[in-house]
Amino acid sequence: MENHQKLLSIAIGGLLALGLAGNASAADKKVEMEKCFGVAKAGMNDCSSNKSAHSCAGQATKNNDPMDFVAVPKGTCDKIAGGSLMDSGGMMKKAM
Amino acid sequence: MNALGDILPGFSRAIVRGDEPPGQINSAYPKHTVSTAIDVYRNNYLGNLHDALAGAYPVVGQLVGNDFFRRLTRAYIGKNPSRSGNLHHYGEQMAAFIAAFLPAQQLAYLPDVAALEWACHCAYFAEDAGTLDTGKLSRLGQEHYPDLVLVLHPACYMVRSPYPIADIWHAHQPGAPDDFHIDLDGGPCNALVIRNDDSVIVGELDDAIALWLSIIQNGTTLGDATAGTLEKHPDFDLQAGLSRLVSQGVFADFLVKGLP
Repeated sequence: MENHQKLLSIAIGGLLALGLAGNASAADKKVEMEKCFGVAKAGMNDCSSNKSAHSCAGQATKNNDPMDFVAVPKGTCDKIAGGSLMDSGGMMKKAM
Repeated sequence: MNALGDILPGFSRAIVRGDEPPGQINSAYPKHTVSTAIDVYRNNYLGNLHDALAGAYPVVGQLVGNDFFRRLTRAYIGKNPSRSGNLHHYGEQMAAFIAAFLPAQQLAYLPDVAALEWACHCAYFAEDAGTLDTGKLSRLGQEHYPDLVLVLHPACYMVRSPYPIADIWHAHQPGAPDDFHIDLDGGPCNALVIRNDDSVIVGELDDAIALWLSIIQNGTTLGDATAGTLEKHPDFDLQAGLSRLVSQGVFADFLVKGLP
């Protein structure tokens, strides 16, 4: 296979000329990027957040499983439209 | 001394599957019956997994709304028990699950949005790594360029979709305007996920550089990846693509095939 030596030299030459990334500051950068262990994404792994989402005993029955409802998405999905919207399901056609 | 080991599997089945709790459970707790206490425990178990999924899939949640999302997560949790002590690992199968979830069939793009969100989630928690050391690269002889193997940063992911998933993702970020409208026929999307400091960034690549990066990602050398890309995209601009990807911190390091 052709190895495109010249093209690679130009591309990498351009990269080096720009002096991008890395370099001497790599070590400092690394320190700057150091993450604190235990820092969680907002709302995740945060025990207290569970309290707002759930009242423990209040929802604690076996019978409130909502799965037998006919579920219809009701979010921002109505702002996304196009002819391909119905394609993959096969059950929904545009003329309804 | 084995009592705990004997009782835990039964306890786990009672929580996860709703089986009869094992008889060894201490029922002397004064406020609730064992079955109520188990129900409370189960509710917290489900609530924690729901919150983990809500944390990983905020865009899917907004797209379908809270009620639908709760049903989706409940169904997911029923089919996919947590296998890790780390909740950040929970939710990996969501894209495939949504693709098979009948109530969501109408939203053909939703599995790909979920795949992009999982990539963002993984990018957020990926290990730290440096960026490509151009000083080290400048000391490499040009004759080695075809044999360069570029190592991707652990927080770099690509997600390809026939739908404009990057636009959809951006429209649902905090601070984005509410009055968006996205045309699904806007064409396919090669979403690129990277992390800059502690922020996850979603960008888009054209088909040529996306193909090139996907070949590079497999560990193919720079020479072969470039030749392979040029076969399909004769106008592929390696210099522009490489500069952009390096400046975005897509690469962590490089090796030279055949050199120690």
